[in-house]
Amino acid sequence: MKHNITTKLLPIVILLVTMASCSKSFVELTPPTSLTPSQALSTEADLLVALRGAYAGLRGVDFYGRSIPVMGDIMADNAYQSALNTNRYTFFNDYSTTKGCTAGDGNVLGMWTSGYSTILRANNIINSSLAANANIDQYKGEAYAIRALCYFTLVRNFATPYADNPAALGVPIVTTYNPDLKPGRSKVSEVYALMIDDLNKAYTLMTKYSNSSQFSKYAAKGLQAKIYLNMGDKTNAKAAALDVINNGGFTLVTPTTHAAYWASATVRTDKLETLFEVSSDAVANLAFDALSYLYSQAGNYGDLLCADDLYNSFDATDARKALYFPTTRAGVPVFGVNKYPVISGDLSDTKVLRLSELYLIASEASLPANEGDALTYVNFLTFRRGANTITSSGTQLFEDVIKERRKELAFEGDRFHDYQRLKRDITRSTNYPATSRSIPYSTFRRLLPIPQTEVDANPTIKAQQNPGY
Amino acid sequence: MRKLLTTLFCVYAVLLQVAAQNRTIKGKVTDANNLPVANASVVVTGATSGTTTDAGGNFSISVPANAKSLSISSLNFAPQQVSIGGKSTIAVSMAAKSNDLQEVVVTGYGTSKKSDLTGSVTTVKAADIENLPFSSVDKALQGKVAGLQSVAASGQPGASQNIIIRGVSSISGSNNPLWVIDGIPVNIGDASRLQTTANLLSTLNPNDIESISVLKDAASQSIYGSRAANGVIVVTTKKGKAGKTKFRFDTELGQSNTAYTNPAYRPLNAQEYVNITREGLVNLGVAQATIDATLASLGSTSGVDYNWLNNVSRNGTQQQYNFSADGGNDKTTFYLSGGRFIQEGTTINSKLTRTNFNVRINNKATERINIGFNLNGGYVSQRAPLAGGAFGNPVLSSYFLLPTRSAYNTDGTYNITNTGGLHNTIALTEWDKRFLRQTSLRGSVYGEYKIFENLKFKTNFGVDYNVLEEDQYNNPLHGDGAASNGRAFAYYTRYFNWVWTNTLDLQQNITKNGDLSLNAQIGYESQKSNGYFTSLQSQQFPPTLALTYPASGASPTTATASISDYSFASSFATAAINFQNRFVISGSFRRDGSSKFSSNFKYGNFYSIGGTWNIDREKFMQNNRFFTQLKLRSSYGVNGNNTAIGNYDALPLYGYGFNYNQLPGSAPSNVGNPILSWELNKPFNIGLDMSFLKSRVSITAEYYTRTTSDLLLGVPLSRTSGFSTATRNIGSMENKGFELTLNVIPVQTKNTRWDIDFNFANNKNQVLSLPDGNDIVNGSFLIRQGVALNSFFLREWAGVDAANGDPLWYADDKRGSTTNIYPGVAARVIAGNAQPKYFGSLATSVNFKGFYLQVSFYYNYGNKVYDTWGSYYLGSGFGAVYNKVARQMNRWMKPGDVTDIPKYIYNGNKNFQSSSTFYLNDGDFVRLRELQVGYTIPKEVLAKAKITSANFYVRGTNLFTWVKDKNIPFDPEQGTGSATNLNVFIPRTVTVGLNITF
Repeated sequence: MKHNITTKLLPIVILLVTMASCSKSFVELTPPTSLTPSQALSTEADLLVALRGAYAGLRGVDFYGRSIPVMGDIMADNAYQSALNTNRYTFFNDYSTTKGCTAGDGNVLGMWTSGYSTILRANNIINSSLAANANIDQYKGEAYAIRALCYFTLVRNFATPYADNPAALGVPIVTTYNPDLKPGRSKVSEVYALMIDDLNKAYTLMTKYSNSSQFSKYAAKGLQAKIYLNMGDKTNAKAAALDVINNGGFTLVTPTTHAAYWASATVRTDKLETLFEVSSDAVANLAFDALSYLYSQAGNYGDLLCADDLYNSFDATDARKALYFPTTRAGVPVFGVNKYPVISGDLSDTKVLRLSELYLIASEASLPANEGDALTYVNFLTFRRGANTITSSGTQLFEDVIKERRKELAFEGDRFHDYQRLKRDITRSTNYPATSRSIPYSTFRRLLPIPQTEVDANPTIKAQQNPGY
Repeated sequence: MRKLLTTLFCVYAVLLQVAAQNRTIKGKVTDANNLPVANASVVVTGATSGTTTDAGGNFSISVPANAKSLSISSLNFAPQQVSIGGKSTIAVSMAAKSNDLQEVVVTGYGTSKKSDLTGSVTTVKAADIENLPFSSVDKALQGKVAGLQSVAASGQPGASQNIIIRGVSSISGSNNPLWVIDGIPVNIGDASRLQTTANLLSTLNPNDIESISVLKDAASQSIYGSRAANGVIVVTTKKGKAGKTKFRFDTELGQSNTAYTNPAYRPLNAQEYVNITREGLVNLGVAQATIDATLASLGSTSGVDYNWLNNVSRNGTQQQYNFSADGGNDKTTFYLSGGRFIQEGTTINSKLTRTNFNVRINNKATERINIGFNLNGGYVSQRAPLAGGAFGNPVLSSYFLLPTRSAYNTDGTYNITNTGGLHNTIALTEWDKRFLRQTSLRGSVYGEYKIFENLKFKTNFGVDYNVLEEDQYNNPLHGDGAASNGRAFAYYTRYFNWVWTNTLDLQQNITKNGDLSLNAQIGYESQKSNGYFTSLQSQQFPPTLALTYPASGASPTTATASISDYSFASSFATAAINFQNRFVISGSFRRDGSSKFSSNFKYGNFYSIGGTWNIDREKFMQNNRFFTQLKLRSSYGVNGNNTAIGNYDALPLYGYGFNYNQLPGSAPSNVGNPILSWELNKPFNIGLDMSFLKSRVSITAEYYTRTTSDLLLGVPLSRTSGFSTATRNIGSMENKGFELTLNVIPVQTKNTRWDIDFNFANNKNQVLSLPDGNDIVNGSFLIRQGVALNSFFLREWAGVDAANGDPLWYADDKRGSTTNIYPGVAARVIAGNAQPKYFGSLATSVNFKGFYLQVSFYYNYGNKVYDTWGSYYLGSGFGAVYNKVARQMNRWMKPGDVTDIPKYIYNGNKNFQSSSTFYLNDGDFVRLRELQVGYTIPKEVLAKAKITSANFYVRGTNLFTWVKDKNIPFDPEQGTGSATNLNVFIPRTVTVGLNITF
C-alpha cells in the first residue's frame, strides 16, 4: 500500500522539484541586440566599433547631421527661411521677442544632448584600459579629436566667445562616466584648455589616415588651428594651419573639379580638400531630416535659401557662384543652394573642416603683422576658385579675408561664429523678417539658452543660465 | 507525513469498496410550471459523473447502495439535493435560479462558490457579449462591470481598446489589466508595428466565451502576483455539455455610420472658405492685388465645391455568422464552433475580417483521470488608414484639404497635383496599401488526476501564439512614397508564449461534522514569451501601381530581425477556511521570479488576506423574511505591476546599430538599474452584498482604496552624463472609490419579466509623491503631488475682447487680469482631468410572451476632452491654407460683437491657436449603447420544424449620444488620454439578427 502511494505522488513531487530547480537560469535572459559595457569594450576590435558609434553620434540631427551647419548660417546672414517652409529653424531665422528661441527649444536641447552623448562615447574609448598599440592609439587619438570637436561646438554655441571673456561661463566639462553627476559650467578658458590638450594628444597618438569621414593627425591639427583662431591666438593658429598646409598632404579643389567635388556624397580617400566630414551613407542617414532635404529644391522641403547679398558678392568668374541658382519659391524669385544636392541613396555629407579654411586661417592669422603672407594664403584660394585676386591692405584686407571666408564657407555653419568671435553686429538682407535684420552683438539670443530640461535636472547649472532666458 | 498519507489512502480504499453494490433510480425533473426540464444533470451527491434528463425530463441512474441523495442541477435553475431514502422513483421540481449564492464563479486558478468569495469578482455571462457588433470582447465590456472603464480611441474595426479597472495606478507602465484566457496569461494589446491600431484580442470570437470574471481586489488578484495590480480579466471559453448534440447558429447583419457629429464642426464649403479667407486677408492689411492673387492660389476661381469629409466617410457594414455544436456523453464532451465576422468602418479604407474556430474536448478517462484539450484559433485580416497627424489620415485630411479642390480632375482621374501640398487621401486609399494579417492560436492540453476524493492534481500546458504579418505600400506617384519613388514594407511579428501550470487542490473537512473546512491549493507555474520580429523595407519602385511588395523595390533600405523575451517562474498557494458557511477566511501567496527583474530583486512575494461574513446564515437572522442574502466581505493585500519595466531595462547596456559608413558601431544605450523592481500595489476592499424582497432587489456596494508605491519613473539625468533619464522606483499614488451594482426585478409573472440593472463607479486619484517632489509636465498634462494623474495643465482662456476681437487669456493662474499676449508658462492652470469622476450604465429589459426589449445606457461624467487639431480648423486664421469648420464663422467682426471666436486674421490672430482651455471641452455624455427589440418564437411552433429555439431581433448600437458641452467637436469617447485625434469615428450600428438552436 505504501508503495502504491509513493508511486502516485512521486512523479508529481519530482515534477515540482525539477521545475523549481531550473528556475534560476530560466528567469535570467540576456538582451539579443545589446551587450554589457564590459563586454562591448573588451578588445581592440570592440574599440573600433565603439569609435564608429562616436562618429555616428556626430551625425545626430541637431548636431552635425543638420542643426550645426544650418544654425551657423541661419542665425547669421547667409541662409534664410523661405515663406514656404516646414517650420524648421523658424526661431533662429527670427530673433524677435515673440518668435525667437527659448530655453524650451527642441533643437537647442537636441544639440546639447547630442554633444554630451557623443562625448560619453568618446570618453569611454579614451578611458579604455586596454594595453596601448598603434591601433588603439589611433582610435584613442580619433576619440580625443571627436571630444574636442564636441566641446568646441558646445562652447561656441552656448558660451560667451573666448575673444570676449575667457573667464565667462563655458559648458560643463565631463571626461568620465557618472550618470548621477550634476556638473556646473566650467570657465570658457578651461574648456578651451581641454580642447587644445585633447588635440595635442590626438595629433601625437594618430598615425593613420583612413578617409575624409574620420579624423586624422592633420585634421586634428586643422581643428586646433581653428580653435586657436577663435581664441585670438594668431601665432599658434598660423603655425598649426601651416603644419596642415605644408605637411598634411591635402590638396585644394580647383575651378574644374569644384562642381564635381560638391556633387559627390562619397567619402574621399584622395585627400582632396576635405580634412574631416561627417558621413551620411545610403543606410545610416537622417532620411527626411537630412541636411540636404532642407536645402535641396528638388526634395520635399527646400526651406532654406541663399541670401541675395551673398549671391551678389560672387565674381562672375567665381566657380563657387555655380553652387547657387536662381529659382522661384512661394512666388518670389530666390537663390537656391546646391552644396548638399544628394537627397536619396548615399546622402550628402556634412563638411566640418576643409583645407581651404586652413589657408583662410593662415591668412587671417598673419594680420595685421604680415600682410604679404595674408595676401599669399588668401589668394592661393581665390586663384583656385576663379575669383578676383585680393589686393587690398590694412583693415580692408582683413575685411576682404573675412568676406572670403563667408564666400568659401557659406552654408557650412561657420558664418555666425565669425560674427561671434569678432564680436560684431549682424546686419541681414531684406530676405529676413523685418524685425530681425539688425542683430547687435549684445543681443541675448546670440548665445543659445542652456536647455530647460538640463536646468530642471541639474541644480548646479540652475543659477548659470545665460542672461535673457 | 507518512501517517497522513496512510490515513488518506485508507479513506480512498473504503470509497472504492462501497462503490461495488448498485441499484437503479428513475425520475422526472420539472420546473415550477410542471414542464419537463431537459438536459438537467443528475448525479449521486459527492460523485462526479451521473446522467442527464432527456427531452421529457426523465432520467434513470444507477446509484450505490449507500447513496443518500441525488444532486440535480440545470442551467437557469437552483441546484437541488433530493434524498433517496428507499425510493426507486423520484419527482423533482426545480425552482428558477435567483441571484443565488450557490452560484459558482471562476476565479484565479479555480472556482469558488459565491458565498465563499472574500474578494471582489464581477462576472459577465456569455449572453451579454454574444453577437455584438464589436471586433473584440474588450469593447463589449463597456458598462458591464462597475469600476471597469472600457474606452475606445478609434472606430477602426480591430482598434485597440483601453481598459482601466479602479483607476490608473502607473505613470510609465501599462494600466491595462492582465488577461487570462483558459488559464493562460496572454499577451494582449496592440502588437502591430505598421498599422495605426490593432488588437490581439480581435482574433478571439466573443461568441466562444462562456464567462468573464473581472478580479478587482487583492483577495482575487494577488494570486497573479507581479502582474495583478491593474486587475485581472479571467476568460473561460465554452465547454460541451453531455447529452444530445446541440447545434446553434447565430447571424447578424447591419450598417453603421458616425455615432456622433456636431454641426458646428462641419467643414466649410468653398464659398464660406473663400469668404472667410478674404476677410482674413483684409484684416491682415494686405493690398487688394495680393488678396486676389492669394485667393486665386487657394482655388477661389476653381469653381469647385468638394466635400472631402463626405467623400472619405461612408456607411459601414457589419456581418457575422457563428455556428456551434456541442454535446457528448458522460465520458466525453465536446464543443466545436466556427465563426466569421466582417466589419467595414465608417471611413474609407477601414475594414476587418475575422475567421474563427474553437475546439474543446474533455474526456473522463477513469473515475480519477480527466484529460482534455482546447484550441481557439482566429485569423484577422485588417486594413486601417493612417491616423492622427499624418496627412495620409483621411479623416484629418478631410478637415485640412480645401473645398475648392476636388479629389478628381475634370477627366475623372485623381487630382494629385493641385492639393495645396497635402495628400489626396482618396487617391491614396486606392493606391497605397496597409494590411495586417493576424493569426492567433490559444489552447492547452490538460490532465487532472484525483489522487484522493479530496486531493486533485492538475497539469495544464497552454500556448498563446500570435503572428502578425504587415504589408505597407506607398505608391511612387503621390503621397508618402513619392519622395523615394515608391516604398514598401513587410514586417513580421511573432509572439510564442507558453505556460505550464501544475496545481494540487485539497478540500478537507477539519472537523468531522464539516463545520470547519479547508480549501487549499499549491501550484507552480513557468512561463516564457518569445517575441520575434523581422522588418524589411525597400524603395525605388517601378512607376506603376501594380507592384506593391518590397521585392519590386530597387533599393532595399531596412533588413533587420530581432527577438525580445521574458520569462516567469512562480510558485503560489491559496487557502480558504470556512466555518459553517458563515465565516470564510482566505489567504493567497505568490512568489514571482522574472527575467524582467534586476539581479538584486529577482523574486518578489505577493499576498492577500480576506474574510467574509454571511450574515444571513446567522441564528439571529433565522426569522428574517426580508433578506435573502446579506454578506459582508473585506480584503487587503499586495501585488504588483511590472509593465513599466522593459524586458532588459535593469541592465546597463551598449547597443549596436550606431553605424558609420555601413560598418557596425556601438554606443551606450541604457543606464541600467541594479535595484529595478515592480510597482507595488496595496489594495483594500470592503463590500456588502444584499438581496431582499424575495431576491427581487439585489445590491452590491463596495469601497476600495489602493496605494501604489515604487512607481517606475524616468528620473531626468543631467544630459551631460550622456543619458537623458534613468528608470527608478520612485513615486507613489492612490486611488479610492465607491462602486454600486443594483439589480431590480419590478415585475415577474408567468408571462412577463422586467429587469433593471444599474451600476455606478466613482474613482478619485491622487499622486502622493514624485522624484524630489517636482512637477512633471507632460505635454498638456501635469503630474503633481496632491493632484490627480492626467490633469490637464493649460493656459486659461478668458474670451474674446468685444472691442477689437483679440483673443484673451488670464494673465496668470490667479485669474486676476486678462491679456491678449499669450501668457507665459506660469499662467498654466489645472483645468480638469482626462479620467471621469464617475461612470456606469443603466440597463433594462422587458420580456413579455416571447417579445423582449433591451435598452442600455452608458454614462460618463466629469472629465474633459482636448481638441488636438482645433488650432488648425478653428484657429481664427492660423493655418490659413487649410479648411475651417462652421464654428469659425461665429468670429468677431466688428466692435461690440460678443462671441467666443476671435477676429479672423490670415495666418493667425495673436497665438489664439496655441493650447489653452478654449480647446478643452466637457466630456460628459450619456450614450444609448444598446436598444434591442426581439421575438422568441414559441416552442410549440418550432417543435414541428425540430428547432429547439429561435429568436430574431433588431438592434441599434450607439444609437444616440447626448453630450453636455455643445462645443465638443467629435465623439466624447476618445481613449483614456481624452484627446480627439481625428481617427476613424466610432460607429452607430443598426443590425438585425437571428439565433437558432436545434
